[in-house]
Amino acid sequence: MRLNFQRLQALIRKETIQILRDRRFIALILSMTLVQMFVYSYAASQTVYHLPLAVVDQSRDANSRGLIQALINSQYFDWTQQLPSQAEALRAIDRGEVKAAVIIPPNFASDLSRGTANLQFLLDGSDNFAVRSGYNAAVLVAQNYGLQLTAEKVARTSGGALPITASTHILYNPDLTSAWFVLPGIIGMILQTLAVEQAALFVVRDRELGTVEQILATPVRQLELILSKLIPLSVLCLLVFGISIAISIFWFGVPFQGDLLLYVWLALLFIASCLGLGLFISTRARTQLEAEATALIFMLLGIVLSGLFYPRTGMPLVPQLIGDLAPLTYFIRISRGIYTKGVGLNFVGGDAVALAVYLLIVVLITARRFKMRLD
Amino acid sequence: MWRRIWAVTQKEFIQLIRYRLLLVSLMIGPLLELILFGTAIHTDVQHIPMVVVDQSLSAASRSYLAAFTDSGSFDVVASVADQAGVIHAIDSGEANIGLVIPPDFATRLEEKDANVLLLVDGSNSFVTQSAASSAAAISQQYAIGLTRQPISSLNVHSQVLYNPGLQDLWFIVPGFGAFLLYGLALKLTAFSIVREREVGTIEALLVTPIRPIELMLGKTIPNLCVGIINAATVLPIGILLFGVPFRGNLLLFMALAILFAFAGLGLGMAISAVSQTQIQANQVASLMNIAAMFLSGFMFPAYALPAILRVLGYVLPLTLFMPIINGLFIKGVGLADLWTPVLALTVLTVAIFFIGARSFRQQLD
Repeated sequence: MRLNFQRLQALIRKETIQILRDRRFIALILSMTLVQMFVYSYAASQTVYHLPLAVVDQSRDANSRGLIQALINSQYFDWTQQLPSQAEALRAIDRGEVKAAVIIPPNFASDLSRGTANLQFLLDGSDNFAVRSGYNAAVLVAQNYGLQLTAEKVARTSGGALPITASTHILYNPDLTSAWFVLPGIIGMILQTLAVEQAALFVVRDRELGTVEQILATPVRQLELILSKLIPLSVLCLLVFGISIAISIFWFGVPFQGDLLLYVWLALLFIASCLGLGLFISTRARTQLEAEATALIFMLLGIVLSGLFYPRTGMPLVPQLIGDLAPLTYFIRISRGIYTKGVGLNFVGGDAVALAVYLLIVVLITARRFKMRLD
Repeated sequence: MWRRIWAVTQKEFIQLIRYRLLLVSLMIGPLLELILFGTAIHTDVQHIPMVVVDQSLSAASRSYLAAFTDSGSFDVVASVADQAGVIHAIDSGEANIGLVIPPDFATRLEEKDANVLLLVDGSNSFVTQSAASSAAAISQQYAIGLTRQPISSLNVHSQVLYNPGLQDLWFIVPGFGAFLLYGLALKLTAFSIVREREVGTIEALLVTPIRPIELMLGKTIPNLCVGIINAATVLPIGILLFGVPFRGNLLLFMALAILFAFAGLGLGMAISAVSQTQIQANQVASLMNIAAMFLSGFMFPAYALPAILRVLGYVLPLTLFMPIINGLFIKGVGLADLWTPVLALTVLTVAIFFIGARSFRQQLD
């Protein structure tokens, strides 16, 4: 099939005019991008700080105060109430006044000097997202406090610091800012949603409304028709990509570490794979609703299985493989690699090749099944 | 009147069933997602891949390394020659943490002044924090062990009320069921009305003797049914397969869920009024659904949101439905304790449905 560039150009012009005329569509695409950037990056910080904490301190000595101070200093808890007993603490949780309570028993200090002391945490499990960080933090703070006391004792008795000092150096994101973690992935998520959905919808719409019949009556070839739809869409996707990067750098202050040109090239490859996937969906769907429902499944796969919000480390094999069906899974590694880590093609090359193979397979499958005409 | 409503309902059902891919996506999709939610999401991280540089190659360094591998938190995936090798491994994503033991480790350990370096991958939020803190704790514990001092240990007994295992699924399953009911009602309604307009079949409907209210009922009832069928398959599977407890009154839950679905129908009609094409309707509906998913506390902690977003969350019906789910599924309380969210949900639903129905009428004129 040979392309006639004059015809292609005319068709692209028609599609572009159609997109640009629909002001509301453009406005919605842009607001969708903004809303997703903000909502995802704020909502996705899984760590919850400043949980309201009730303190039941029955020991009342330097050690128990030190522990409480350590809990507050960790930023995970805010001391809101001092209560006399565990029963009172339970009632405070039932009433929803506090999310967590710490109970330090009367013999805390003497137990601690003998070696092992106990303390109790109560957490409101009906708000599990909120208390999960508190649950982990409580254990960690207590453990560190015990180690710190021991280290002080060692320093007193043997007159020196601990024999081993481990200095920790966190690469790429030294302050552990959560926006730095999520935004490079969210850019991919936004692109995948946009490209897959719109490619499927654009093609199916013409078929559903019957407008394609008029165009097919002209000498236009099918390939030209598809390209004329996908090229303006890629430009739209690139525009959204540019806006997302700009917001992420200038609003959220996430520094771009890598090679921008390489990032744009690989993003184009990713956009092409997503458009291909959308086109594949359009071969199966007859109405826009059908196309949308199918595209939605890929979006949810992207959210859950691509490693965007939940770690792929420790995920069982089958969900990992299903996650590989979404182009986002590859692009997230590329995006984090180039954007956050600042590495080059030698590190993200494997995923780039995977995306290229993905694109090839999708195009081959789609080419065999694709029909513009309603039969 | 009922015959006319029934006729439209029938037409809508036939349209839904004719499109098999749609039906499969609507029915299988949620089940697949539920099973994936149940099996794939683990927020605790264990066996973090680690790369080590042992330049000391002594008994002391081997014993120190063993403390890391024995903890179960780390798996040593590679041994490299120097720090550059560690950074290379973390750059490539092969490992998330690196431990560098310098050549003078054993000799300086005898002088009680050994240093090691931990390099942690800061590009992955789940791994970074737990890797950094548990590695530091393991090292410190090992060092204290060398001084032969008893460690003052604090045993933390955590008691999680209502949900002792702190299981995410206990929330996700009922929340997902409710979200399906609401989200499907919303999306299907918006699409089916706009579609009639976009394809032009609405003209044909309007020349029939059908009245707007009848058309509205005929169009919304099938969508409600699809939502109910969906929720009715997801919830029992969650309860049976994943052991999600149900402690409250089932009838009350169903009634409230259907009330909640009406909010979705109302919003769907309102969206159809402001959209000219199905693509636009889809954008607006997706916007509403994303907002609901992220601001309601259903999949992410609403507690961590900035105040403005949290307030915004309260105009979304799902945010008001979450305490009802918590109450009925997890705390096992009844209507007496839940009347505030129930009342709020009712008011919001009636308001939304009223606005939706009005805008639906206006579209037809």
